[in-house]
Amino acid sequence: MTPFVFFAKLLLAVPVAIVLSLTAIWYIWESDNVILYESFAQRMFSGIESYGLLAIPLFMLTGELMNEGGMTRRLINAARVFVGGFRGGLAYINLLANMFMAAIVGSAAAQIAVMSRAMVPAMEKEGYDRGFAAATTAAGGLLAPVIPPSMLFVIYGVLAQIPIGNMFLAGIIPGLILSVCFALVIALIGLRQQFPKGDWMSAKDAWGALVYALPAMLIPAAIIGGIIGGIATPTESAAVASVVAFLLGWLLYGELKPEKLFEMFKRTALNASLIIFMIAAANVFGWVIIYEALPQRLAEFITTITQNPFVFLLIVNIVLLFVGMLIDGIAAIILVTPILLPIAIQSYGISPYQFGVVISLNLVLGLLTPPVGVGLYIASAMSETATGRILKALWPFLLAVTAVLILLSYFPALSTALID
Amino acid sequence: EEFRLGLITPPPHVWTLAAEDFGAALNEASGGEHSVTVFPARQLGNEAEMLQQLQTGALDMAFMTVAEVSNRAPEFGAFYAPYLANDMEHAAAILRSDAATALLDQLPATVGVVGVGYGSAGMRQILTNGGAESAADLAGQKIRITPFEPILDFYNAFGVAPTPMPLPAVFDALANGQVDGIDMDSELIVLLNYYEHADTMIQTNHMMFPMVGLVSGRVWAGLSEEDQAMIRELMAAAVDSTLDVYVERDGPWLAEIEATGIDYQVAGPEFFGDAIATWEAAWADRAGDALAALREAAAAAE
Amino acid sequence: MLNRISAVWARIEMAASAALAVGVTLLILLNVVTRSLNNALFWVDESAIYAMVWMTFLGASAAIHYRQQVAITIVTDMLPLGAQRVAAKLVDLAIFIFACAMLYFCWRWYLPLELAGAGFDTMAFQGATFNFIYAEPTSTIGIQKWIIWLVMPLFSFGVFVHALAHLLNFDAPGAEKSAVAT
Ligand code: NA
Ligand code: NA
Repeated sequence: MTPFVFFAKLLLAVPVAIVLSLTAIWYIWESDNVILYESFAQRMFSGIESYGLLAIPLFMLTGELMNEGGMTRRLINAARVFVGGFRGGLAYINLLANMFMAAIVGSAAAQIAVMSRAMVPAMEKEGYDRGFAAATTAAGGLLAPVIPPSMLFVIYGVLAQIPIGNMFLAGIIPGLILSVCFALVIALIGLRQQFPKGDWMSAKDAWGALVYALPAMLIPAAIIGGIIGGIATPTESAAVASVVAFLLGWLLYGELKPEKLFEMFKRTALNASLIIFMIAAANVFGWVIIYEALPQRLAEFITTITQNPFVFLLIVNIVLLFVGMLIDGIAAIILVTPILLPIAIQSYGISPYQFGVVISLNLVLGLLTPPVGVGLYIASAMSETATGRILKALWPFLLAVTAVLILLSYFPALSTALID
Repeated sequence: EEFRLGLITPPPHVWTLAAEDFGAALNEASGGEHSVTVFPARQLGNEAEMLQQLQTGALDMAFMTVAEVSNRAPEFGAFYAPYLANDMEHAAAILRSDAATALLDQLPATVGVVGVGYGSAGMRQILTNGGAESAADLAGQKIRITPFEPILDFYNAFGVAPTPMPLPAVFDALANGQVDGIDMDSELIVLLNYYEHADTMIQTNHMMFPMVGLVSGRVWAGLSEEDQAMIRELMAAAVDSTLDVYVERDGPWLAEIEATGIDYQVAGPEFFGDAIATWEAAWADRAGDALAALREAAAAAE
Repeated sequence: MLNRISAVWARIEMAASAALAVGVTLLILLNVVTRSLNNALFWVDESAIYAMVWMTFLGASAAIHYRQQVAITIVTDMLPLGAQRVAAKLVDLAIFIFACAMLYFCWRWYLPLELAGAGFDTMAFQGATFNFIYAEPTSTIGIQKWIIWLVMPLFSFGVFVHALAHLLNFDAPGAEKSAVAT
């Protein structure tokens, strides 16, 4: 009964957060555990009482300011100096920029927020389909939690009681493989669709573009320097970057009007609210199903099916693909790691690093799948593109991720080679 | 009956293993009539939330830091008197004393839970960046603590900005400088490799870190007397077993930290200067008779 | 009338939410500055988190009024116009039911009548109800947690007003459909 009600509401276009909440309410009623109602509102509040989530509004704000202040335009213009003449050049710039950002940003959601605002309008202006532009950006965002640093790996490392530094090392090769696969996807689509081919700039224009972009480079520099120098957390770096972006856009480039600042905060607050509220609802939902020990029962069932580690990982992948469709990545990893990891280690002898990389990549894939695809909705909101249109261009990327997942499941060395 | 038991520690942690043992023992003793599903790693929420769920009866049982309980019943703050215990063995003896057990009597009325007995994690140490001759050198730093008042007051007493944060956030915060140091026990410093992002380990043993086995007051009231006795006995044995584990392993864990080549200091009460007296002054009233009673037990156990 | 109340309330929520976003930014910056001066403030992290939570729930309630929702409209977009109007009403109804449930949960959580019945003596109250909401402290900022949690009843009330206004409004639909929803 519960799954039926769930999907009926979803397809009626009831807001996702409301669907999750109502389903949780319904499930409590059905399992006759109405005592949970007394904790329901508190649990919804505490689900988002987390320092890490502060990064979401701050990175959104940085994205807003960089755009309004004309900084992203100048940065992309500078990148064009190098690959602008190639067919599909801007698509590769998007991917390269994402790889670069992935090493800075620990959260896919935050990365997609910044990059969508920056890259999608630029690509559309060059003649790319907006759906493809948003899809490339969203897929690139999946690199964030795989190429270190990564919020997801930190949480997993704590749950699995393994060194987080080693967990970071485990993500490097998979992150590079993923990047190469995405580049191949772009190349293949380019062959079929004939991407727009730009022109090379004149030497004088190229020089101007580089000089103009130089101050704008301060922003990534502020983020990287802040984190690497140990001066600031990623969250704090985002706040510092937003100040730098504001000052540059206002005083240097003269494109930002301070009186428009409050409007930008309004947009930031609204967009961030939509995402974070969904995380709150997903947490309540996850809490209710874990109360009934549903995931535990599922795990017990899996062990009766196979004794082969690869088959086990494939089953886990399929199950998690559905989990990721419903539950936000961080909430999902908190829910499944304690249940599945002991089985993976004890029953199948799987390395905790390999297991961590596989389930993390799998669950971030869930960021891009409906119904609860936080990353997809951020890309949609920030680029003002319908999710359906993004999905249409996104599936080759999702297929590539799936192929990489199978690869990572089959070859443990891809995850463990760099560790000692 | 099927009971739910929640705790914040990850699956391989000493507390979680003790919880699993308790579940198995209860299942056997009841002839299969009772079973316990363990929810580790904050699956049901943090300790404040789990305590609230114990109060409503949504959650049946929990192994919880005494810190969380002391946020509601200040007498329990007495356990955190700096240097109440000299080392882990001494701490175990204090936690097994009658004075400690007597404190549990008030829990049903003040917090709505039944406390069956104590366990523990290891003694608290300070892991930080940049050496310190005395606690005054740490002033102005941000040090991660478990959020509860006695420890908050202690760190405030020597000018540190205590920063409460849950365990999963600690490694990241230490690595990227959100905090300068952490207040932590030796087990987790070793297991979670916190020493990788700090250059100084100060073995202070400044505080013990007790845990208490709790049953929901509402659930307890609905149990038969035989079941109450059985659960009380088995759960008390399970939490008590953690004391032996830490007595045995606290030393080896500390040795393991020292062997990493980190700058290793050993400090005693003098390191903290006036801070201990400041704490005593603040808590003498709040912790009431409990502080004197525990001090007596500590002296007897020495 | 109800529409006007809903609109005004949404504007208040949105302004507060934006102000809190400003607050979050300033608090995090304060953190950077004070720590680099080796004079860190212990209450900043927790304040920033609560500001973000308030921002979220106030913004989420206002978003109900503006129909700025994350929803799957693949199916409903294919329906004929009449059926779309029916579907839209059902959505309003679902949100309304959610709001009523949330108000009920908040009521059971705060138990205002029992508190008044106990003469606002929280010890007597929690002895009688096993509800310890008024005893819960915050970690560093020294405010009782029930005050911080007040955003939940506020949120529930806001969603209730916005959903009720939508539910009772039978004007032509689609006029204010957002670009976010798809
Ligand atoms: Na990353
Ligand atoms: Na998803």
